[in-house]
Amino acid sequence: MDIIQFLLDLLFSEAVFVPLIFPGLLTLTVVIVVIIWFERKLAAKVQLRYGPLYVFKPLGGIVQLVADLVKFLFAELIVPKGADKRAFLLSPVILFTFSVAPVVAIPLSSGYAAVKSDLTLLIVPALLTLAPIFVLILGWSSDNKFSFIGGLREGYMMMAYETTMFVAVLAMAVTYSSLSLIDIAGKQSNGLWGIVLNPLAAFAFFVAMLMTTARFPFDVTEAESEIVIGPYTEYSGIYFGLCLGASYAKLYVLSLFFAVVFLGGWNPLIWPLNLNPILPGVAVLVKAFLVMLFCVFLRSVYPRFRIDQALQLGWHKLLALSVASVVLALVLIGLGFEVG
Amino acid sequence: MKGAKTKGKPVVDVTGHLQAFGTGVKYLLQPRMTVRYPEVFQDFGPNYRGMLKLYTDRCISCTLCARICPSNAIKMYKTDARKYPGITYQRCIFCGFCADICPVDALEMSGVHDVAYAGLEEQVQKPEDFSKGPPIEKPPRKVKPMIDEKRGLRYERV
Repeated sequence: MDIIQFLLDLLFSEAVFVPLIFPGLLTLTVVIVVIIWFERKLAAKVQLRYGPLYVFKPLGGIVQLVADLVKFLFAELIVPKGADKRAFLLSPVILFTFSVAPVVAIPLSSGYAAVKSDLTLLIVPALLTLAPIFVLILGWSSDNKFSFIGGLREGYMMMAYETTMFVAVLAMAVTYSSLSLIDIAGKQSNGLWGIVLNPLAAFAFFVAMLMTTARFPFDVTEAESEIVIGPYTEYSGIYFGLCLGASYAKLYVLSLFFAVVFLGGWNPLIWPLNLNPILPGVAVLVKAFLVMLFCVFLRSVYPRFRIDQALQLGWHKLLALSVASVVLALVLIGLGFEVG
Repeated sequence: MKGAKTKGKPVVDVTGHLQAFGTGVKYLLQPRMTVRYPEVFQDFGPNYRGMLKLYTDRCISCTLCARICPSNAIKMYKTDARKYPGITYQRCIFCGFCADICPVDALEMSGVHDVAYAGLEEQVQKPEDFSKGPPIEKPPRKVKPMIDEKRGLRYERV
């Protein structure tokens, strides 16, 4: 009995439960499967057709992505002749790892977080900045012009969105005068969510989030109609799945972050949520899922911006907007507005 | 760079973005326009030709069908002292000449055109296969396309 108790304690300890089960890898896999299905279904519905249907018909083909994943697993992995083999094989794995890694910094409730630090607001964007470097590396190592162009485009986009995103995060840090996500979510318990306090920062962060994860209308990196699928052109099999999964993992992590910082985290803490320290995380997940749903809905609404348009939007408009959000936060603090 | 300046509408055009969302939501709530094809089937009307079926008991072995066939899809096979037609769907162009010329109505157009075969050999049918007609597993629900003034295309049950 002692061993079972020990294993259960180990499983439900923060350092294991958060990265591996909820909201880590296991939940991530389920969410990716469901969100890609939703993306295809929404796009199909907007175009007045059915979308995936025949894999598990009672639920409208929801296991389509599992079937795709199995297909990816059995597909042959081809390494191009001129490719830098080591970089080619390692970078998708590291890219996916760094896209998922920031999930450890997301708190599930005021007492349940894997990383007990006062700087979790910084850890999430800091870990996410590592991922685009590997997109550049895998674009270069494939020895293919489309991959290379895609990698360079990712580089350009990275310059455009990261500044905006960090300045927006800075605005929220100033607004709440805290760098801890637990503090920030706690300060929103009065119903004044971040999106109400600083809508400019929320909007700038949201658009930067779309740019980071290559959602429409900013999918200039992948641009199927121009450069095949951008940096991932030469990949096949499960490595291709990892590359595509990385952008969805990023979307998932950033949506969780958005839910905690701008959408009140686990607040309001209503009845079934306050029974257990893990349950408030469900509220965060639901909010994040709604954000993701909106992001994938954009695929059926927008065409693609040209790269110069996307960069212009990033540097000219969004950066100005995020700086304005910092000013707004300073004004709020200067007027003696006490948050939380 | 010459193309750097955005021509036409600006990138930040708030009404344009809102209009795009509005259109997306509007179409999201509209009923679908396509039909679930293998289960729901578009009715082509009584004059649609399709694949053939042979009635061996009516056939008088006159070989007219094999002679009229413009693509040489019908060939006569000798079975117990008489000859009966067989068909190759690799060649058939569904013109319906054979059914028209048959003096005893031994050939019938079934109105089914969408049968999948596992191999090319299965498409060469001897009289005994030919007389079974095209395989229809489950009769599909039939619909008829209608022109709707508001939506354009609409399907109605037959």
